[in-house]
Amino acid sequence: MTPLLSVQGVCKRFGGLAALEDVSLTVNDGEIYGLIGPNGAGKTTLFNCMTGLYSVSAGQVLLRGTAIQNRKPHEVVRRGFARTFQNIRLFANMTALENVMVGRHIRSRASVLGAVLRGRRTREEEAAVRARARELLDYVGLGGKGRLIAGHLAYGDQRRLEIARALATEPKLLALDEPVAGMNPVERQHMRELLLKLRHGGLSLLLIEHDVKLVMGLCDRVAVLDYGRKIAEGDTASVQRDPAVIAAYLGDGA
Amino acid sequence: MRRLPGLDFLHARPGLAFALLAALLIALPFLVGSGLGNSWVRVLDFVLLYMLMAIGLNIVVGYAGLLDLGYIAFYALGAYVYAWLASPHFGLHLPFWVILPLGATFAGLFGVLLGTPVLRLRGDYLAIVTLGFGEIIRIFMNNLNAPFNLTNGPQGINLIDPVRIAGLSFAEPPRFLGLDLPPTYLYYYLFLAFTLLAIGVAMRLQDSRVGRAWAALREDEVAAAAMGINLRNTKLLAFAMGAVFGGVAGGLFAAFQGFISPESFSLWESILVLCMIVLGGMGNVAGALLGAALLTILPEALRYLGDLQRTVLGQVVVEPTDLRMLLFGVALVSMMLFRPTGLLSSRQHRREWAAEDGVAEQERASLYDSRA
Repeated sequence: MTPLLSVQGVCKRFGGLAALEDVSLTVNDGEIYGLIGPNGAGKTTLFNCMTGLYSVSAGQVLLRGTAIQNRKPHEVVRRGFARTFQNIRLFANMTALENVMVGRHIRSRASVLGAVLRGRRTREEEAAVRARARELLDYVGLGGKGRLIAGHLAYGDQRRLEIARALATEPKLLALDEPVAGMNPVERQHMRELLLKLRHGGLSLLLIEHDVKLVMGLCDRVAVLDYGRKIAEGDTASVQRDPAVIAAYLGDGA
Repeated sequence: MRRLPGLDFLHARPGLAFALLAALLIALPFLVGSGLGNSWVRVLDFVLLYMLMAIGLNIVVGYAGLLDLGYIAFYALGAYVYAWLASPHFGLHLPFWVILPLGATFAGLFGVLLGTPVLRLRGDYLAIVTLGFGEIIRIFMNNLNAPFNLTNGPQGINLIDPVRIAGLSFAEPPRFLGLDLPPTYLYYYLFLAFTLLAIGVAMRLQDSRVGRAWAALREDEVAAAAMGINLRNTKLLAFAMGAVFGGVAGGLFAAFQGFISPESFSLWESILVLCMIVLGGMGNVAGALLGAALLTILPEALRYLGDLQRTVLGQVVVEPTDLRMLLFGVALVSMMLFRPTGLLSSRQHRREWAAEDGVAEQERASLYDSRA
């Protein structure tokens, strides 16, 4: 079967700077795939290349066999590949519920005419969007906080809301950019449980994370980036022992 | 809804409030006409026209966050379409109900036409390009009398047909229930109907899938795109919707005036409409209405200051028109100082203003790739 996500030889250059050099990786169905590496290794750049925020300089990104590199972000989401952001990008002045409802955009259809005439179909769709958004808030543990302003939520809740919003687009693959960054141990534990619950629900996850403990405990496979190149890939145990990885993190002398 | 002090009894009886409001709106031209004279009913008509435009521009600027300084171009296009199709200029005299949708569609198309090249632009750059667009349209209207006389140049188009609905011409109104209904009164009711329709459309749009997409776009383009919102279509839709409102208002204006010339569509008019929604409160239909009413009525009211000076001082010391600009300036500056989100702003806009992060803006600029 065609793999869910297949990245083949992706390069990204900003002027003379090669941010990504010939990166390839494969994510299978139901997998939690970790992407780690020192700061500036190109992890977020790779995310941006995959989800249409950046164009790639070379290479291919295939989602279930269909090329999605150099596609607009909204087309990538429509095909079932959603993401969250490292520096949370909620619609901070909308309520939590409205944020998730925006995520339903591509899975609903009401046009201008529908919105103005507000016929039965539009009203039913709107009610369904609202109901689904509530469900998702409950699912990520934000039930009852739907009416709060997104920007006023606690930090950990904002991360959860971003996930709920991404889930609203009905992804098959969800890319999470440092989902536990800046969280305390209790929040981390909750996030970990949420991620496992997502995988249990049949979702595949692609995870950028610095928290090695979380990555090693959670991920099925891990790729390590350093200076835009993939220096290692495999199950967590083998990657941890890889001399190239140790060198990248601790320096050559170690 | 905010509660008005002393009117609590109305909140308990929405039906009564509605009936009172309707009665007031119906009686308004008569009250104004008998109290202040027919010229003020004309002012009332213009209030409604500007309300239509303010509601339209509010969709572009207030909902979708796209700063448009050339909005009056769509008003001009609507007006010229009306003039072309219902005046001796081309010898065409199509009925009102045919022309108005045509004018609206034409303006909407130009909305898309303007929107397409400016999709990648934001903020100041967008404002400058749209400003240029507004001027281009005006200059075209000014010069398209040769080689083919399309617009009759600076002389403008004259003798535009008045509105005629079901055999009733607005130019020679009948006596109705023993009351004289001058044209300004009839146009008042016509414009009122259109304004009420526009209010309904704008409010429903705001509270819909499309309205949410616009709000998302205004808040964070990158996140909106990552949520599956097609930035191009959503922006073009905002431009087109705004333009349609402007086009309708322009058509009504042409029929009402009977004469149009490029002079009526200057940059100043674009800025005036923008001032209306800034003053009233962005992103809020009620704010747009209030702003349009204030900025149309105030300059007219200021004319009385000239008479006042003449009676008290024996001569006009300060021209009321000069005073108008001064007061505009003072009003806008004090707005920015004391109520930066407008008199009746939407809750979301107030929050956006209060948010202290220019950071999001910088990130947006750095993260988003150069292609739109």
